[in-house]
Amino acid sequence: MDEHLQIMIVDDEQIVRESFRTWFGKFGHRVDAAASGAEALQKLEGTPFDLLFVDIKMPGMNGIELLEKVKAGYPDTSVVIITAYGSIETAVTAMKLGASDYLLKPFKPDHLNLVLEKIRQQRRLVSECSYLKDRLDQFTRFDNIIGRSPPMQKIFDMIPEVAASDASVLLTGETGTGKELVAKAIHAKSARAERPFIAINCGAVPDSLIESELFGHRKGAFTGAVQNRRGFLEVVTGGTLFLDEIGEISQKMQIDLLRVLEEKRVVRVGDSQPIDVDFRLVSATRKNLRQEIAEKRFRQDFFYRINVVHIPLPPLRERQGDIPLLIEHFLTKYSRETAKQVDRVSADALNLLQAYEWPGNVRELENVIERAVALSRSRTLGAASFSFLDADTPAATGNRTLRQVEAAHIANVLAENDGNVTRTADVLGINRVTLHKKIKRYGLKPGATGSA
Amino acid sequence: MNRSPRMAAKAGLQTEAASPPHRIGILPMGEIPSLIPQVMAAHIESYLRLPADILPSEGLPENAFDPHRLQYDAGKTVTALERRTGPEGLSKMVAVLSCDLFVPIFSFVLGEARQGGSWALVSLYRMGKNEDGSLPPESDILERTAKVALHEIGHLFDLVHCDDERCLMHFSGGLDDLDRTSMQFCRYCRQFFKEAVAEG
Repeated sequence: MDEHLQIMIVDDEQIVRESFRTWFGKFGHRVDAAASGAEALQKLEGTPFDLLFVDIKMPGMNGIELLEKVKAGYPDTSVVIITAYGSIETAVTAMKLGASDYLLKPFKPDHLNLVLEKIRQQRRLVSECSYLKDRLDQFTRFDNIIGRSPPMQKIFDMIPEVAASDASVLLTGETGTGKELVAKAIHAKSARAERPFIAINCGAVPDSLIESELFGHRKGAFTGAVQNRRGFLEVVTGGTLFLDEIGEISQKMQIDLLRVLEEKRVVRVGDSQPIDVDFRLVSATRKNLRQEIAEKRFRQDFFYRINVVHIPLPPLRERQGDIPLLIEHFLTKYSRETAKQVDRVSADALNLLQAYEWPGNVRELENVIERAVALSRSRTLGAASFSFLDADTPAATGNRTLRQVEAAHIANVLAENDGNVTRTADVLGINRVTLHKKIKRYGLKPGATGSA
Repeated sequence: MNRSPRMAAKAGLQTEAASPPHRIGILPMGEIPSLIPQVMAAHIESYLRLPADILPSEGLPENAFDPHRLQYDAGKTVTALERRTGPEGLSKMVAVLSCDLFVPIFSFVLGEARQGGSWALVSLYRMGKNEDGSLPPESDILERTAKVALHEIGHLFDLVHCDDERCLMHFSGGLDDLDRTSMQFCRYCRQFFKEAVAEG
C-alpha cells in the first residue's frame, strides 16, 4: 500500500505554505499549496487530494467555508483546520462540519506527526472496511448458490427483484436445495442487509418454546422465566426473519404470527404492552402447503400472508448440468479446509455422480464430496471414492434411463474391482469385449478408478 | 581525526574510503563547547564514512531572530547560509547553534535541512534538558547532537523520513524519541545514502 499522501496546504502566508511543504517533503508526501480557498477548490477539481491543511483566517473565503465546500464536494478528502487564533467555538464548528482535526499554530513537531498518523490510520480503516464490505457482498451474494442451469438462472434473476421489496417470501423445495442460502441472499441484497438475519428452524423447536423464543417473555410469566427476555421478533427489528420448516408450526402459532404480520406489533408472553416491530419474513418449507391447507393442518389466511412471493427451488436431479460446477465448488472448498490438494474428478466418477438421484440434493452432494476429499490419497477422485453411494436404492434408480443405471452400475463394479476389466466382466456376467465397448460408450476409465 | 575502536566497529557504512566525492564542513555558531563539533566530526567520519572539517566559530545569525517568539527562524538561517559562498572543497555544511530554532508552523525544531540542500542546522539549545526536566549526562548531550547532525545530513543527500523505527532517518518528535532512535541507517536508507554519495 502506498502510504504517501497527496496533501494540499491552504494558507495565505507563503512562509507557512513553505514550512509545510518542506516538512511533508521530508516524509515523501506529495505536497501542493494554495494561497486561497478559491485556488484550493480549483486545484481539487483537477487532482484528488487525500488531505488538506486549511488556515481559518484567509481573505475571501475563510477556512470554515472552504471546509464546508470540500466536505460537500469531496467527502473522501480529510481536512485539518490550522489557526493561530483558536477558540473553542470555531474548533467545535470545524469538527461538526467534518474536520479531522484542529491544530493551533505553532504546534510541536510530534503533534503534527500524530495527526498525520491518525489520518493515515483512518484512511486505512476506511479502505479496509470498503474492501471487506465488497468481499462480504461477494461472499453473501450468491457465493454458495451455484448453478448455470435455466431454473437456477431464473432464481438468480428473482433474488434482487424480491430483495428490493418488503414482501413476504415463501421458499419451497426438497431438503438440501439451498432454501436458507436463498433467504440469506435475499437479505444480503435488501436494504435490510446491515441489520440482523435470524434463522429459526420451526421443526427443531418445540411448540411450547417457540412462543417464548419468538415473542419473548416477561419475568414471572411462567416457571423458569426468571428475567425479562426479548423475543426474536423484537431482536430482528430492521432485519430479516427466516422461519424454516414453517409447515411444522401449530395452528395457534400461525394465528399469533398472522397478527404480528398484520399489526407489526408483538406482545411479550405474560405482558400486555405491545412493542412495535419491523422485519421482513422469509419462510421455507419442503411440505406442500396447499395440500396441508386442504387437510386442515395449515391456515389459508396465514398461507396467503407468507406467500406473497413464491420461489420454488428445483431438486438437484432437475438440474444435472449444474453438478460438475457444484463438484468443482465443493472440491475447492474442502481442499482448502483440509489442506489437501484434491482438485479433479475422473470422468467415470463424474458419470457416476451425474447418474445418481441425489435425494438429499446439494447438501448430500456437498457431504459426499467432503467425505471423498477427506479420505482421498490422490489429487483425483475416482469412481471408487464414491463407492459408498448406494446405487441400488430406489431413490437412486428412480426416474433414470436404463443407460444411466447401467453406466452407474458398471462404474460401481469397476470401482469395487480396482478398475480390473476381467474381474468386472466376470462379476457382471458379460465378456471383456462387451465390457470394453460399454466402458467406451459411457466414457468410463477402468484404470483410473483405484486412486482413492 | 580521533576515531575510537567502538565507533569504528559500529560503523554502518562500508563505502570505499578512496577519495570520497564529499567533504562535510561543521560551523559552530554562538557559544558552542569545542567538544561538540569534534564529536560531530568523529560521528560523520565513522558512521557516514565522509571526511569532516571543523570551521572557525561564528556568532548567531541575528537577522533570523524573531523578537515575538524569542527564537531563531531556522528557514531564514538556512536561506542566509546558502547565499554564502562556502569554503572550497566542502560540499555539504552543518551549522551547530547554541540558540533555540523554530519554523513558522512548529514551536521548535532540533534540526533543520532542506531535501538535497547544502546547509543543515543543529540546535544545541534543548539537548541539555530532558523532557521530564532532569539534566542528562554530557554523553547523552553529545550523542543527541551527533544523531541530529547525521539525520539532517541524510536530508542533504535527499533521504526522506523512514518508517523503520530503528533507522537513523526515522522522525523524532522530541528528545525521548531521539534517544530511542538509532545512530544507524536501515539497510534501505544505507543503500540510498551510498548511491546519493556516489552520484556526487
